[in-house]
Amino acid sequence: MIRNVLPSWKYRLAGCLLLLAGVSTVNAQGSMTAAAAKVNDKMVKLFGIGGLKGLASYGSGILVSENGHILTVNNHILVNTTGLKVHLYDGRQYQAKVLFREPELDIALLKIDEEVNALPHFEFDKEAARPMAENGDWILAFSNQFQIALRDEPMSVQRGVIMAVADLRGRRGVFDAPYNGDVYFLDVIACNPGAAGGVVTNRKGELLGILGRELKSTSTDTWVNYAVPIQAAVDVQRDDKTAKVSMAMFVKDAMKGTYKQSTKIVRKDLGGYHGIVLVVNAVSSTPPYVEEVATGSPAEKTGLRPDDLILYVEGYSVPTIKIFRETLKQYGPGEEIRVQLQRGSKLESVKLKLGNQPKVPVPN
Amino acid sequence: MRIALYSLLAALFVASIASAQHPMVLKQEADRVAVIARVKPSVVAVFARGGQGGGTGVLINDEGYALTNFHVVQPTGPTMQCGLADGILYDGVLVGWDKVGDVALIKLLPKKDGAKFPFSAMGNSDLVREGDWSIAMGNPFLLATDFTPTVTFGLVSGVHRYQPPAGGGFLEYTDCIQIDTSINPGNSGGPLFNLKGEVIGINGRGSFDKRGRINSGVGYAISINQIKNFMGHLQAGLDSDHASLGALVRTEAEGFGIGKTRITAILDEADAARRGLDLEDELSSFAGRAITSDNHYKNVVGIFPRGWRVPLEYRRGDTKKEILVRLMGQQRKEVNDPMQPPPKVDPKQPPPIKGKGGPQGPAAKYYEPKAGFANYYFNKQEKARVLAGLKKNGDFGALGGAWTIDGGVRLLKSNNDSSFTIDIKDVKADGNETPTVLVKIGAFPDTLEIFPKDNIAAKDRRRPNGSGGLMPALYVWKHLMTKGEANLSECLHAGMEPFYPPRLDNAAPRTWSDQRVDADVLTTQQGLYRVKWFFARSDQKLLGMELRMQEYNEDPCEVYFSDYRAVDGRQLPHRMQVYYKDVHYGTFTVTSYKLAGN
Repeated sequence: MIRNVLPSWKYRLAGCLLLLAGVSTVNAQGSMTAAAAKVNDKMVKLFGIGGLKGLASYGSGILVSENGHILTVNNHILVNTTGLKVHLYDGRQYQAKVLFREPELDIALLKIDEEVNALPHFEFDKEAARPMAENGDWILAFSNQFQIALRDEPMSVQRGVIMAVADLRGRRGVFDAPYNGDVYFLDVIACNPGAAGGVVTNRKGELLGILGRELKSTSTDTWVNYAVPIQAAVDVQRDDKTAKVSMAMFVKDAMKGTYKQSTKIVRKDLGGYHGIVLVVNAVSSTPPYVEEVATGSPAEKTGLRPDDLILYVEGYSVPTIKIFRETLKQYGPGEEIRVQLQRGSKLESVKLKLGNQPKVPVPN
Repeated sequence: MRIALYSLLAALFVASIASAQHPMVLKQEADRVAVIARVKPSVVAVFARGGQGGGTGVLINDEGYALTNFHVVQPTGPTMQCGLADGILYDGVLVGWDKVGDVALIKLLPKKDGAKFPFSAMGNSDLVREGDWSIAMGNPFLLATDFTPTVTFGLVSGVHRYQPPAGGGFLEYTDCIQIDTSINPGNSGGPLFNLKGEVIGINGRGSFDKRGRINSGVGYAISINQIKNFMGHLQAGLDSDHASLGALVRTEAEGFGIGKTRITAILDEADAARRGLDLEDELSSFAGRAITSDNHYKNVVGIFPRGWRVPLEYRRGDTKKEILVRLMGQQRKEVNDPMQPPPKVDPKQPPPIKGKGGPQGPAAKYYEPKAGFANYYFNKQEKARVLAGLKKNGDFGALGGAWTIDGGVRLLKSNNDSSFTIDIKDVKADGNETPTVLVKIGAFPDTLEIFPKDNIAAKDRRRPNGSGGLMPALYVWKHLMTKGEANLSECLHAGMEPFYPPRLDNAAPRTWSDQRVDADVLTTQQGLYRVKWFFARSDQKLLGMELRMQEYNEDPCEVYFSDYRAVDGRQLPHRMQVYYKDVHYGTFTVTSYKLAGN
């Protein structure tokens, strides 16, 4: 679902002018050094829990107040709310604690556990007030990936292009994404261990997004590199009510100490409902034979019968029950999928319109 | 309305033309294309003989010397095949290597004697900043079957990076350049260029972690300035070692604030300890660079070869002091650990070189194995070059008789000048030579038999008292000048080292780095006497010497030669400044030389 944003005429004109301005800046400085230094001073290296199962014990974050409020990704290194270590750009070292988390935005706000002031920082609400970046825009990515830097050593800087602005979940079930919404997909390999919580900026060092986690597609074994735009806003659940929260609101309220914690919305990515009950998955290579079809289900409506052997879903071969189930997870309610099957000695092709998962789950 | 629309469209048209073809953009692109075209002929596709495996290299002078990674030449063995972008395959031979730094120097053999190779100039990697653009060229996935290099372009992600050793203490990347410029297997050993087309690093490694051994957006290049420090060693065919201070340091993790790096342990054998560095001292700078973290420390120490002298500054309480420290090796062969017998090096055993069947092909005749060397052939070449240069300053081959030197000297604790006479001679008795040196200062003569029959202790040969051994130093000096390497039990080229002549007034310099000159170094052994000789890189004039009587763990007698003037057409020093244990023993000002024939 890649959305190709066609900028308005006005923006395109502005874009051209900006590019011209950009060229002269680049030419004058010859490199991204100035922007890199400007961003680097506002970033922190984080050290916390981890080190097991390939999970890094380090991460990246940004300062959002002169008193040491830090915005980062709500990941495993923050499992303990205290005992986090922070290295500032100038080599100063502090402890920090977690003040608030917002699981739906996959972010957390920390605070340096000591009186500090006059720290260089991002004015988050001002940064978030700018319009989002677009496909094809140049970016710089900053993080402490691979824990390359310690103390006053600067963060790693990379350059790239926004390939797409699109829903992170894309095909359902492929990425176990902690955040659901539009992200910047990057052509640069930026989401390495410890990069989460780093930032993506434009060439002037203005904040665009927060670098995401390491995410690998279960179907293609490829890794995705993304950043959550700082303009991101999501629905959260609070006391059974739904509320809209933007990243800027979270940062503002969390710094004031008035942020109302939400509860994580539990999503089960079962995909759409089809109503096919398969034979017992006895061995790892059990083929997807239909055992029965639930009454009133989409499968019954399209005329699927017991003993049908499902061969293809949307052209993808499904030789085993496991692969059939994984494939089906990628299609949501309302989507119509083409299923090819063997019935007796004949090949049949049917269209299956997926429904909502029933309230009381039936075996799938 | 219509006019407004037209003018908007016209503006758009102009703007889009401008954005697509802005002269500055076009110029930058054209410059980049020109730079790539200019440096491309210097990029080398390195293959093992037979074509299996390989990497990249880059030519750095017109004689065919090329840099690559140690881990590229390790599997190729001492001879390899090297393709250039002109499509021609050359034979190559290993010259020298630095295993810890993952660098190797190879030499391509010209197709015609004396033919020149294209090459790229080396830049100054200390000027590289994060955010700078960089160009990598090489042979990723060994794609270059026609030897045309692949070009990738990207950003410098970080400088002065530290990456710990990757293989048994070797392949430690200190002070390296981190890039997002794509490098993959096969790029190893290839050049990283700045936009001027200067080599700023040698690509060799990446952070791979979970994504397999392909580009992960994080590659590392060995900084060219580190390689320059080792260049003399590489050219001399040495199997060179990296430096260590002989001390452990720790940047305080407790207590928050900016880190202080303190000495937590120091070896008694370390030169730093003899220069006065002690536990709890705060290391403030090393070789002119401030130290604020453990990585910084590893970075600044790791770029130097073993044996180099570098200035170090430390704080103790309120006082700050700069000392000039001789660095120890990493492989710790000079440390006599009583718990561990030193590893025995079998001199007959050639160095372990993998690769099929050792040297092969036309380059094999330029390879000579010897323990402690990557290729001993090039050590002999370099030594011969220095000795030939020395001879050009004056051929003393026919002047092997007694040498008498007269002049004036002011000793350390004296306020007046005294006259001196030095006699260096081989006294013939019973047909055997008995080399002796006489030094007479004022009315006090002192004579030393240089190779006494009853083997008197080293400390009794350090005469005159307080000089650390000027008398034997003068003897071996005369021997080198008149007989060269004849009758020496060892004479090797030891690469390039910085040399710090004292000021002519013997006052402490403002900072030692002001005094630094780079010198070609030879090491010789003659009986008990181990000498390090320092020669000017330009004309091989002898600048100074250090004489020891044990291999390590003692301060040498340092003699600095200057004020060269011609005596019968031969250049001889008319000033000799003698130092021992950081103390100025005396400066000898020569008024006359009398050199007798053989």
